[in-house]
Amino acid sequence: MAVSANLLAVPVAAPLLTAALILLFARWGGRTLIRHQIALTALALCINLAAAALLFRAAAGQGQRFVLQLGAWSAPFGITVYGDGLSATLLLMTALVALAVYPFAVATIDYHRARMGFHPLYLFLLMGVNGAFLAGDLFNLYVFFEVLLMASFVLLTVGAQPAQTNSGIRYVVLNLLASTVFLVAAGIAYGTLGTLNFAQIAERLPLASPAVRTVFAGLLLVGFGSKAAIFPLFFWLPASYHTPPPAVTALFGGLLTKVGVYTLFRSFTLFFPELLQDWQPVLLTIASATMLVGALGALAQPGIRRVLSFHIISHVGFMLMGLAVALSGNNLAFGFGLGAAIIYLCHHMIIKTALIMAGGAVELHMGSDRLASIGGLVSRQPFLAFLFFTAAISLAGVPPFSGFVSKLSLLQITLDTRHWVVSGVSVFASLLTMMNMMRLWRESFWGDYSRPSRVPSRILQSSVRQRLMLTPVAVLVLLSLALGIWGEPAFRLSMQVAQQALDRQAYIEAVSPSAQTSTLPAGLFTVPAETVSTILSKEN
Amino acid sequence: MPELYLRLLNRILTPVLLLLSLYLLFRGHNLPGGGFIAGLMAAAAFQLQILSRGHDSLRRTVGPYLNSGIGLGLAVAVCSGIVGLLDGTFFKGVWFSLDLPLLGYLKIGTPVIFDLGVFLVVVSVATSYLLGLSRVADANVEPGRRADS
Amino acid sequence: MISLLLAFAVGSLFACGTYLIMRRGQIKLILGLALLSHGVNLLLFGSGRLTEGRPPIFLNKADYAETLSSSLPADPLPQALILTAIVISFGITAFVIVLVNRRHTVTQTDYVHGELTPLLREGDPFDFSESAELDQYDWLAYEVDEVYDSEELLTGFPTLPPSEQDESTAMEQDQYRWP
Repeated sequence: MAVSANLLAVPVAAPLLTAALILLFARWGGRTLIRHQIALTALALCINLAAAALLFRAAAGQGQRFVLQLGAWSAPFGITVYGDGLSATLLLMTALVALAVYPFAVATIDYHRARMGFHPLYLFLLMGVNGAFLAGDLFNLYVFFEVLLMASFVLLTVGAQPAQTNSGIRYVVLNLLASTVFLVAAGIAYGTLGTLNFAQIAERLPLASPAVRTVFAGLLLVGFGSKAAIFPLFFWLPASYHTPPPAVTALFGGLLTKVGVYTLFRSFTLFFPELLQDWQPVLLTIASATMLVGALGALAQPGIRRVLSFHIISHVGFMLMGLAVALSGNNLAFGFGLGAAIIYLCHHMIIKTALIMAGGAVELHMGSDRLASIGGLVSRQPFLAFLFFTAAISLAGVPPFSGFVSKLSLLQITLDTRHWVVSGVSVFASLLTMMNMMRLWRESFWGDYSRPSRVPSRILQSSVRQRLMLTPVAVLVLLSLALGIWGEPAFRLSMQVAQQALDRQAYIEAVSPSAQTSTLPAGLFTVPAETVSTILSKEN
Repeated sequence: MPELYLRLLNRILTPVLLLLSLYLLFRGHNLPGGGFIAGLMAAAAFQLQILSRGHDSLRRTVGPYLNSGIGLGLAVAVCSGIVGLLDGTFFKGVWFSLDLPLLGYLKIGTPVIFDLGVFLVVVSVATSYLLGLSRVADANVEPGRRADS
Repeated sequence: MISLLLAFAVGSLFACGTYLIMRRGQIKLILGLALLSHGVNLLLFGSGRLTEGRPPIFLNKADYAETLSSSLPADPLPQALILTAIVISFGITAFVIVLVNRRHTVTQTDYVHGELTPLLREGDPFDFSESAELDQYDWLAYEVDEVYDSEELLTGFPTLPPSEQDESTAMEQDQYRWP
């Protein structure tokens, strides 16, 4: 079946339209209102999954690139929506995570939060994430970043508990600063290159002076890196992820930092692949520090969700390590590092969401997630214990789960390129992860059963709700198992995706930003003309 | 009594502002104006109401429909993009013109409808924000000193 | 010359914004964020061509050719970008103000675990020390206090609490709990 480029609009338009309809009828419906909202949201999530799967089959499976020029305005003048294998993979994973978290959210979100618009906000968040994966120019990327941030601000603080407002302020301020840095980068790109379109930036950036390239790359690294929670910029994450309801944390943990990671992948491979070589020591240092700080910080944390949110940081370090070695590889295929990072990203999105949901279920059962005050749940909730255990060992990287495949491939590329230190650090961080996961499991499931510190939640009285909570965790764990067992075809697919993402020329040709002369325009920050001419003369 | 002047101003200015906002909305395709500016201007009219008569009356009359207004505006904006699909591309502008007896030659297209959606969203969001803040402001003033008491 | 002035303006806006964000104080935080966004907007404005008296809209082609022969007209794109950025920062500022206000209310009076606890030191938006361990499970308390009906989830969602049974008042109350 031929897939039209208009399909790219579905992951953005479907959640937006559904959320709009929910808001439109939020006044009517009385006591069945929430039920209708749930049905509509579930429908939108399914449509989104179907569209993402179609896109994935065409883009990642068959290597197509989709370009949608909104309103049929051609590339540098209109809004470009671009989808290739990398976008489609992330869209598919996002759709899966969103659909998997939703039953858990339905089961655990209280009535007040539902009345305050939890369901439309869920869709707005999804729309922002999808739009960021599909954006074809810097400014739309910024807009979708803000959409997803706005939705996440509200999801984080809805309910307005003291801890939530507290962490909300930190989250808001630090993320706004990151957005500001990113917007400065966009302004500098427009001032020096005269364009915001990704393809045109990629085309013109070699003409710009090295100073411009360095500043642009540095600002993007800070802006996107802050969203991705890399080493010195991660402080918003552990400060906020443990305060909202666990359904929200699961969604955030699955989706938000991955948008930052995706944009890092996209910008570094498309705009400045040469910096992946030049800045490799810096990137590898940041990656090692991120891995170590995440894993060591998790050791010191007293609660399940706090430990898990530090592990998100640690795993972002693994992905960044894959990016840093994306272009190098002596005996391995071209793009092996990026392929390994992509499969690690998929594994992380699946299993981290499952683990946070399982942790949330523990929290509901025990009335607390402080490791000191819980324990012995294995006799009461054997199925939950089983799910938590499998998810935890998958996260730690034990075969036959997906964590093993992805960590092994990352280790292989770093060893092959003789980065001994970073591979040692990654092994050490994996060991720490294992230790932490065992600590979580031991403290919460083994030992004597400690009585819940407060009355067990009324959510747990309903067997339907219990099933809604645990089924998605089981499905995600099975997915992780499948990704581990069929590791080879999955890895081949992600290699294809990586090679497609690394093919800059094909990207530029697919978007084809008109046959304008490739000279830089006269702007405020324009590089002196002689610099450009010297570069041009060198090239000739 | 600042309210007296404000009330007088309100009587005169509110209809003017609302009409002006509609004017800005419909001239916005080719000339300065558009949905966002028009929406802000309409919200300014509502803010004048709040300042002169307190927020209770506005809350009763407009308040219940604000969420629906946001939803309607977003839905209209997205649907105007979906209309473009008929012509091949999402968000493609589709235009048709009418010859009306009174208004003369009228050109209507999906960008105008999109602007209408933006207008609705901006009016509703800004007004609900103003209403929310006015309640907060009231809560911080001691009882008996409320502007509308 | 004018671009140098613009550069100074952008720089000072950034400096003041950063300084204000570093200060303790919620209002200063909001002002700092607003200044930062103004700085970025000005930077975007400067990223286009700085021209004087040459609008990019022409009513006839003769004007267009004439203007192009002398110099380029103003670049309309940065203005569109700035408008979008202003809209976004407007929304976010509104949200931050409401959030800070809410936090202020929480600071003044809030019951945590049955006793009136001063949760946060007044005024410092990043102070987290005293409340870090206390209020971790508030979302649970919220849920437990909720009035749930005995109906199952899929056959009907919990009914409204008694106080909110009246449809119209419930709607009006809920209208402004929207964040």
